Amino acid sequence: MFYKNILWICLLFIALTSFMIPRKTGAIAELKRWVINESSSLCVNGSTNVNKFACEIPAYDQTDTLSLVKGKSDNEIALSGNIGLKIQGFDCHNSMMTRDLRKTLKESQFPLLHITFISLSKLPNLSTQPELITGLVNIEIAGVHKRFEVNYQISQDAQKVIHLLGSRDVNFSDFNLIPPRKLGGMIKTNDKLSVTFHLKMKQVD
Amino acid sequence: MKKILISGFIAGCILFVLSYGGLYLAVRFFPSLFVEYNNPLFNSDGSRDVLFYLHAFIFSFALSWFWDRFKSLFKGMFILRGLEFGLVYSVIALLPVMWISFSALDITVIMVLSWFIYGLIQAIIAGMVFAKVNP
Repeated sequence: MFYKNILWICLLFIALTSFMIPRKTGAIAELKRWVINESSSLCVNGSTNVNKFACEIPAYDQTDTLSLVKGKSDNEIALSGNIGLKIQGFDCHNSMMTRDLRKTLKESQFPLLHITFISLSKLPNLSTQPELITGLVNIEIAGVHKRFEVNYQISQDAQKVIHLLGSRDVNFSDFNLIPPRKLGGMIKTNDKLSVTFHLKMKQVD
Repeated sequence: MKKILISGFIAGCILFVLSYGGLYLAVRFFPSLFVEYNNPLFNSDGSRDVLFYLHAFIFSFALSWFWDRFKSLFKGMFILRGLEFGLVYSVIALLPVMWISFSALDITVIMVLSWFIYGLIQAIIAGMVFAKVNP
């Protein structure tokens, strides 16, 4: 009778646990949290057939956090976090060009540009030597989302500030935007824009 | 009426080629003069391009009518008549328009001066054409 009860208990245990999915303990473990510093910036370089322009958002006025989470494989690092940049913050060092860019990016309808971080190709070894990695981001401009692979340079300085430099070429047309053209098309803005951003971050426990 | 339309059309065709050809070359060889046009004041979506390129004809037909009414006042060779006609148009019509444009719009002095000179040259060429076609 005793052995029969033991057998029933064993069978019950097997029946109850057989439908459970084994959980890899490290699969969703959060590795690091990085707080974005206010002195982070974003720069957009473009050109027209009469000049070149560089418009920048010189300072990020919010404190957001990026979280690094280890993915299923060792080479996959999920990055979660989002930054929202005010289109009004763009400065092209020429008031007319600044207003023109804001109008092109439909600032009145969509006052924010969002960059959502999705993943990194590997866990960076933070050192003073910049390390080249790639990652996926989702960029939202004028209400249109587009996913891009971004080239990053990541390093950490002596003050333990993490520098994440991202760069990527995008097109106005990727976001259903029409590059400005003036005087019947005599002055044309090129579709391609080179976007670079520099995030300065501190690691938090 | 027929003479007004014919001379207006001929002047329109000549001005179309010279004005937009000249503008194209100016943008190509003096790009720095056009940087200020990257301004939300100017239409940027291409929706009014046809109107922009029709300007030469609108301008020519209007001046053709003006020439037909007052051509007897312009004396001398066709070059001289065209020159005087262009100056008269510029002082009467262009100067006040440029004045109010500069006072009301966010544009530069260089921009307004270039528009004035552009209009003056257009009117002189149109005047010479009218002096030949509809003396």
